Amino acid sequence: MSQIILFALLGLGPGALIASVGLGVVLSYRGSGVINLSMGAMVMLAGYLFWAFRTGYFGISFATAFALPLTLVAMAGVGCVVELVVFRRLRTASPLAKLVASLAVLLLVQAAVLLAFGSTPLNSPAVLPSSSVTVFNVTVPIAQFILAGIVGIIVVVLVGLYRYTRFGLATRAASENERSALLAGLSPSLIALSNTVVGTVLAGLVGILAASVVGLDSTTLPLLIIPALAAALFARFTSFPITYLAGLLIGIAESLVYLASTQSWFPTSQGIALPGLQQVLEFLLIVAALWWRGSSLPQRGEIVEQSLPLVPYQDRLLQRVALPSVACAIALILLPFDFRQALITGLVAMMICLSFVVITGYVGQLSVMQLALAGFAGLLVSHIGDTGGIGFLPAAILGILASVGLGIAVAISALRVRGATLVVVTLAAAEAIQQFIFANGSWGASQTPGSLQQPNLLGLNLGTDAGFRGLDGKLPSPVFGFLALVIVVVLYLLVANLRRGDLGRRMLAVRSNERAAAAAGVHVPRVKIIAFGLGSAIAGIAGVMYTYDFGTFSTSNYDVMIGFALIAGLYVLGISMAQGAVLAGLGATGALIPLVLQKWVLPQNQIATYVQLIAALGLIVQLNLFPEGVLPIMWKRKQDKAQKLERDRGLPAADVSTDALIPEGALRRSNHEASSIVDGAPI
Amino acid sequence: MPVLEVQGLVAGYEDAAVVRNLSLTIGKGEVVVLLGPNGAGKTTTLQAISGLVQVMSGSLRLNAEDLMEYSPTQRSRKGIAHVPEGRGIFAGLTVAEHFRLGYRGEHLDADVAYSYFPPLAGVANRLAGVLSGGEQQMLAVGRALAREPSVLLLDELSLGLAPLVVEVLLPVIRSYATESGCSVLLVEQHIHLALEVADRGYLLVNGEIQMEKTAKELQDDKVLIAASYLGKSEFAASNGNEE
Repeated sequence: MSQIILFALLGLGPGALIASVGLGVVLSYRGSGVINLSMGAMVMLAGYLFWAFRTGYFGISFATAFALPLTLVAMAGVGCVVELVVFRRLRTASPLAKLVASLAVLLLVQAAVLLAFGSTPLNSPAVLPSSSVTVFNVTVPIAQFILAGIVGIIVVVLVGLYRYTRFGLATRAASENERSALLAGLSPSLIALSNTVVGTVLAGLVGILAASVVGLDSTTLPLLIIPALAAALFARFTSFPITYLAGLLIGIAESLVYLASTQSWFPTSQGIALPGLQQVLEFLLIVAALWWRGSSLPQRGEIVEQSLPLVPYQDRLLQRVALPSVACAIALILLPFDFRQALITGLVAMMICLSFVVITGYVGQLSVMQLALAGFAGLLVSHIGDTGGIGFLPAAILGILASVGLGIAVAISALRVRGATLVVVTLAAAEAIQQFIFANGSWGASQTPGSLQQPNLLGLNLGTDAGFRGLDGKLPSPVFGFLALVIVVVLYLLVANLRRGDLGRRMLAVRSNERAAAAAGVHVPRVKIIAFGLGSAIAGIAGVMYTYDFGTFSTSNYDVMIGFALIAGLYVLGISMAQGAVLAGLGATGALIPLVLQKWVLPQNQIATYVQLIAALGLIVQLNLFPEGVLPIMWKRKQDKAQKLERDRGLPAADVSTDALIPEGALRRSNHEASSIVDGAPI
Repeated sequence: MPVLEVQGLVAGYEDAAVVRNLSLTIGKGEVVVLLGPNGAGKTTTLQAISGLVQVMSGSLRLNAEDLMEYSPTQRSRKGIAHVPEGRGIFAGLTVAEHFRLGYRGEHLDADVAYSYFPPLAGVANRLAGVLSGGEQQMLAVGRALAREPSVLLLDELSLGLAPLVVEVLLPVIRSYATESGCSVLLVEQHIHLALEVADRGYLLVNGEIQMEKTAKELQDDKVLIAASYLGKSEFAASNGNEE
C-alpha cells in the first residue's frame, strides 16, 4: 500500500510537467486557435537553455538566480518570434495549416537543440531543493510537491486572470469571434501574441524546474505533448483547472503503471515487463476524451473564410507518368549503388507520402501515424514472411491487411472528431504502436531476423539481391527498384485518379465542410473510414517495401519525428497532389536529395537532423508566402497563363463582370411588376 | 459639417470591386439608411468603413480625420461602432461581461445600454449565448451604444428576428441618435420600418449609388425602390443562362 502511495506521489512531478504543457496548449488554443504541437518542444528548449546558461555552455555560466530569469526572457522571445513569424500570418488560415505550422516549429526547435546540444540526454542542475518529506509513512522528494504546487498556483492565477481581467475577457471574446473582437476595438493579434508568450514562458518555467526531476532529453520531452493533449482534450481546450487535474492524474497513472510493471503479476515478455503500456494508456485516454468531449470542442469564429490547399483536377495521367517512369527505370540501372539504394528508398518513401495525400490532402485529416502503420506491416512481414515461412506474397498481403485493420480501428476511435483534431489521436497511436508493438521483446523488432529473405515470386527473385545488378554490378539489384517503381506508378495513378472520381469528390466535400457534406448526402464516417483504409493500405505496402529495402526491420525508420519531417516536406511541395508525394519521397531520409546533400553539401553525420531543419524552415516559409504549396501554385499559374493565352487569341473568355448582369433598362422595365410587392413582406 | 464623409469609395474582395465610386455623408445625430437589393454592396460598404474589407481607392473621413491608414481596431477606437450582420456578440461571455470588455483605457457605460434596452438589465448575469435572438441583438446594439461612438454602423438588425423585434429596436436607435448626437448608418431589409426612423436614404444598386433622397421622399417613391430591388432577378429570368 505504501508503495502505491509512494509511486502516486512520485507521479506528481511528471504530472505537473504534463499539466504545464497542457496549459500551454490551452493558452495557445484560446489565444490564437492553434493546436500547438510544439509546446513539449518548448519545455525541452527551456530546459536546454537553462542548462547551457547554468553550466557555461555558451561561455559564461550564471547562478540559478540569473540563469532562470534569463531563460524565461529567452523563452518569451522565442514565443514572440514563433507567434510573429509563424502564426500571425496564419490567423485566417485553415486549422490544418495552423496545425502543420506548429509541427514546423516542433521540428525546427528539436533540430536546433539536436544540432546545438547533441542527442545525449543531459543532467540538468537542480533548481528545487533535493530534500525529502515523509507523508503517509513514505518518503518523497519535496520537489514533487513543489512542482505540483507551483503549477497549481499558476492555474489559480490563470483562472483569475481570465475571469476577472480585461485581458482575460478580451481573450475569451477574441477566441470566440475574432471579427467581433476587432469591431469592439480589441486587437486579436496582440491577444494571440500575449497568450502564446504566456504559454511558452509557463511551459518553459515548469520545464526548467522539472528538468532535474525528469531529465533532459531531446527525443522524449517534445513527445510530452501527447499526454498534454490528452489533458487539454479533457478540458475541451478551455478549462485550466481541468487541464491541471487531468495532467496530474495522467502523471500519477503513468507512475502507477510503472510501479505495476515491477510486480511479479505484471505481464512480461522475454522476462522483462511489457513495454509501452504508458503510451497505450495515453492513447486510450485520448480516445476516451474524444468520445466524451469530442463533439463539443470549441470552434472559433475566424475573420476570413479559410482556404485549404488547392486540389487540381488533372487529366492525361498516363502521359504524365510515362516519361518520369522510364527515366527512373534507366536511372536504376545506370546509377552507382549508393544512389541506386537512395532512389529505391525514395520510391518507397513516395508510397508513404501518397498515403498522406489521400488522408490529409483529399480528406483534410492530419494523420501522423502512417509511418507507424507502415512499420506495423513491415514488422509482420519480417515475422511471418521469413521465420513463419509462408513466403513473400501471402506475408505481404497479411501485413498490409493488418495495417489496414489497425488504421481503420484508430480511425473509428476518432470518428467523432471533426477536422484537424484527429492529429491528436494518430499521434498517440503512432507512439503507442512504436512503444508497445515495435519495442516489445516477444513480438517486436528485436525478434525479427537480422537479414531478411528477399521477396521471391514464382521462382523469380524480385529482391535487392536479384541476379541482375545494374551497371556497376553491386547491390542492391535494380530489380527490386523496378518492383518499387511499378508499385509507385500504380499507386500514383490510383491516388491521382481518385481525385477525378466520385469518391474523390466526396472526400473533398468532407474536407471543406463535414456538416455541409453530410447535408448533401455524403456519408462522412464512411468516407473517412475508406480514406483511412486506403491510406493504411498504401502505408502498409510502403512498410513491406521498406523492410525488404533495408533487408531488416529497424524501429528507428518509423520514428514519429521522421514521419513529421516527411509531412513537412510533403506539405511544402503540395500535400494535395500526387506529384507532391513523388518529390517529397525523393527528399525523405535515406533518399536521393539527402544523399546528395550528405555527399557534397552538409556534414555527414547529422544529415537526418539537417533534413528536418530544412523541411521545417521550408514549411514556415511556404506557409507564409504561398500557403497552397509549391506544386499547386505552379499548377495554378500555368492554368492562369493558359487562360490568358486563350483570351489573347480572342476566344470567348469567362469574364464575369458584374456590369453585364443588369442592363440600364432593367430598372424601368420592372416598374409596374414591382409596385404590387412594395407594401408587402420584406424583400 | 458631416461626421462621416465617404468619397469615391471603391472596395471589394481581392481584385474584384463590389462597391464602385460610392460617396455618402452622414451628419451629426442623423440616421441614414442604405437601401438596395441583395448583392448591391451594402454590407461591403459598412465593412469598408469599419476596415474589415480592403478599400481600393477613395477617401474616408471621420470628423475630418482621414481613416484610410487605420486598422479595423484603430477605427473602432476612433469611434466607429459596427454591429455586423448576425450579431457581433460573444456567446461565452455574460451580458455584464460584455460591458466590461474593452480595450485599455476604454470605459463602457452599461447604464446607457440598460436605459435604452431595459430587458438587458434583467439578464445581466446570463451568458449571451443563451439569450433569445432579440435579446442578443439588443445586447449587440446596446454594447455599441455603451461605447458612445460617433458613428454607429448597423447591418441587418432584422436578420433572423421577428419583424416585431425590429419595430422595437429601430425607434430606440432613432431616439439614441437624436439624444446623443451619434450618426447612424443603417442597412435594413425592412424598408418601410427603416424609412420611418431615418432622415435620409441612399439607394445602392449593383455597387453604385442610384439616388439619394430624404426618407420622406423615398417613402413616397417606393415604386422606384422596389424596381431597383427586382431589376437583377427580372433580368436573370429573361436571360436564363446568364448567371
